[in-house]
Amino acid sequence: MSTVLQNLVNQPYKHGFVTDIESDVAPKGLNEDTIRLISTKKNEPEWLLEFRLKAYQKWLTMEEPVWPNVHYPKIDFQAISYYSAPKPKKTLASMDEVDPELLKTFEKLGVPMNERAKLAGVAVDVIFDSVSVATTYKAKLAEVGIIFCSISEAVHQHPDLIKQYLGSVVPVGDNYYAALNSAVFTDGSFCYIPKGVKCPMDLSTYFRINTQESGQFERTLIVAEAGASVSYLEGCTAPKFDTNQLHAAVVELVALDNADIKYSTVQNWYAGDEKGVGGIYNFVTKRGLCKGVSSRISWTQVETGSAITWKYPSCVLRGDNSVGEFYSVALTNHYQQADTGTKMMHIGKNTRSTIVSKGISAGHSNNSYRGLVRIAPSATGARNHSQCDSMLIGDQCGANTFPYIQVSNPGAQVEHEASTSKIGEDQLFYFAQRGIGAEEAISMIINGFCKDVFQQLPMEFAVEATKLLGLKLEGSVG
Amino acid sequence: MTVAAPNRYLASLLAGQPQLPASPLAWFNDLRSHAVDRVGALSVPTTRDEEWRFTDISPLTGIPFHPVRGGSKPDIAQLAEFILTEAGARLVFVDGEYAPLLSFNNTGITVTSLASGLASHGTVIEPHLGRHAEFQSNAFAALNTAFLHDGAIVIAPRNVAVSAPLHVLHVATQKGAASYPRCLVIAEPGSVVTVVEEFVALQNDVYFTDAVTEIVLADGARVHHVRVQRESGQAFHVSNCAISLGRASHYQSVSVALGARISRCNLNVVQTAEGVECAIDGLALVAEQQLADTHTCIDHAQPHGVSRQLHKCIVDGAARAVFNGKILVRQGAQRTDSSQSSRNLLLTSKARVDTKPQLEIFADDVKCAHGATVGQLDSDEVFYLMSRGFPEAAARNLLTYAFGAEVISRIPVASLRHKLEQRVLAQTNSQSVSK
Repeated sequence: MSTVLQNLVNQPYKHGFVTDIESDVAPKGLNEDTIRLISTKKNEPEWLLEFRLKAYQKWLTMEEPVWPNVHYPKIDFQAISYYSAPKPKKTLASMDEVDPELLKTFEKLGVPMNERAKLAGVAVDVIFDSVSVATTYKAKLAEVGIIFCSISEAVHQHPDLIKQYLGSVVPVGDNYYAALNSAVFTDGSFCYIPKGVKCPMDLSTYFRINTQESGQFERTLIVAEAGASVSYLEGCTAPKFDTNQLHAAVVELVALDNADIKYSTVQNWYAGDEKGVGGIYNFVTKRGLCKGVSSRISWTQVETGSAITWKYPSCVLRGDNSVGEFYSVALTNHYQQADTGTKMMHIGKNTRSTIVSKGISAGHSNNSYRGLVRIAPSATGARNHSQCDSMLIGDQCGANTFPYIQVSNPGAQVEHEASTSKIGEDQLFYFAQRGIGAEEAISMIINGFCKDVFQQLPMEFAVEATKLLGLKLEGSVG
Repeated sequence: MTVAAPNRYLASLLAGQPQLPASPLAWFNDLRSHAVDRVGALSVPTTRDEEWRFTDISPLTGIPFHPVRGGSKPDIAQLAEFILTEAGARLVFVDGEYAPLLSFNNTGITVTSLASGLASHGTVIEPHLGRHAEFQSNAFAALNTAFLHDGAIVIAPRNVAVSAPLHVLHVATQKGAASYPRCLVIAEPGSVVTVVEEFVALQNDVYFTDAVTEIVLADGARVHHVRVQRESGQAFHVSNCAISLGRASHYQSVSVALGARISRCNLNVVQTAEGVECAIDGLALVAEQQLADTHTCIDHAQPHGVSRQLHKCIVDGAARAVFNGKILVRQGAQRTDSSQSSRNLLLTSKARVDTKPQLEIFADDVKCAHGATVGQLDSDEVFYLMSRGFPEAAARNLLTYAFGAEVISRIPVASLRHKLEQRVLAQTNSQSVSK
């Protein structure tokens, strides 16, 4: 490995600072009292507390999954604080009332929170540790009937919608971490697009973990009524700590007839240092339900952070002619581990799904694609195409592919292909011949490798992702 | 059903084991008693085990199989349809017991039963028998090893090439019997040999075959390995094949699974040295309530290895086919070139396929690709044939046959190839009539 490339990779994590802000942190540990405490703090109605307690009872009976291809010491769930909120907690009338420390934090992260700085034109909901601190452009969105607010606010103002959809895609007992999340989730975003409305701007949530010993358990729920469409972005960062923090989120999407939801993530949680110390455990359940006919759900993710990533954004294609898409770039370096992929459950007739997954492993990292394509007996005419490419940089890393294909209908066409490659000497030579140095050449090759996925990202995110990938890989190739 | 039940089941199968005669070779007795211990510690896998996730073996545990009871051996006339005219040697095992009167050897190399092989070549066999087919965690391999007393031994000496195929024929005759066929092939440096293993039944009975095959290729050896599983439609068949490949050796295998109610074949190939080439092909043709499960693992442990794999399933009726093909490229196994393809044809709406081609790669300078497809016959192709005057059923038949023939055509024994082609044609014909 050449030194040029070596130097390219090892750029420090830019978002690793801690904000010194007074927080209201719940005592560590998890039991029914903790859950009641969270519920009381958030002044929740009785039915939600019941939802939480049901999930907690379910969670107690479940075992931590061991099948993912990742290795980590057992998590002590009693050593985590399940609630942490910046003080003082009072209702904010406008952005001006937000704690200036907080504003500075997000300013530093490049998240536009100030409504008057209308440069970005993206509505943002900002989640700091356990609570939503600000949501921008609410009024403008309300004009067309779109509800975009924190989920705690939605519980009070739109209880019917929350009751109807919360847990409808990811049931409380779906899996170990989803059950945990259902019991202790503290905040998250809620978005409701009414019938026939095309959301006029991209919606975005920005997640930030700040407290050292807290976990983040947020919950996102997006409902697109018939004919509605929305593009949603999610970004995440965390400070550098040498302990591991748990992030167990649940995201549920519901698309009714002809609705279209596009969900993009750039995940850059703190990944630990070059020795693999610290970093976030990112154990996330994301699932979309294409409930109506001809609905469409598209997941795009760029996964560059987290010590361990364990997530499978999935689509349940129940409506006839519905479409599921999954585009992913997962980059691991140093001692990061990623076990990520998707599930496409074809139930309705003529449902279609596309999977494009690009994995890049460098350093001592381990990167796995794990995907499931299931064609139910009812899914006549279903179509799936999957493509999984891996690139290895260095000989100490691993790239794995675990595609599960289960077909119970002869009218379905399922194709899967995967390949593994490296950046060849001859490719670099070709660039060198044309006067392009190794670093730039590698960046171009990687960008070309990920192009299919980056094309799916909204403009600003695509630029950010390209830059992020370049930074992450600096110094690793050669 | 309680959790402990599968374990008791293995113990019940083990009941006949103590009656096996002890061997004069201490290592052999040790091997067997070690396997008995492992059987005691293991249990029958369930669908909770990742390796058995898609194959529910529980119907097996509902049937109390007994060890083979000495019965009358069939005569050669009864085996007429299984005879390979090209064979240079034939070893026949009836319910796992060697039948010397039905066997012959004209090749000049060692093709014999385990007992006589141990007597004449004990020191050659010792480092290999039971050393390649792992039975620490594999309950069925452990069970077979615990019952180790008979089997086929092939030893191809250094630089000897045998052109005629060696035929190892396992015949099942007893209802309710559990048999444990065993085969060990040792190909010494530079040798060339073709081994055909065949599992057949004389009538349509319920029985259980638990087979283990070990094949060792020394430096520069070449082995063609053909496995044909056409057990009775009621039978249970579990087999474990372990292949160890030495430097610059060349291994080519074709497995065809046609019979058995539930069949499971594990094929593990380890490339232990540099410059190895292997090609592994498989065809499963199942109908009605059958389930055919193939698990393969190609372990590229050393650099400069080449592997190629094509696995096809034709699934009719309410049958199910399972394929799990793992390609492992270990750290340091640079310049590995591997390709794998899983192609599946579903003929009815009740048929089902679970396929999982799997890549695990820990080296960067490698070329690995895999692909999987599941689908039905191409309507354009059917239309093309119909436009040339084929009735629809015939057109579908021809295409189904052609799909399977790609794998069968890779069998190097002409008479076997012909027989299997006839069998595939007959099967697809009968199905199109019954539809």
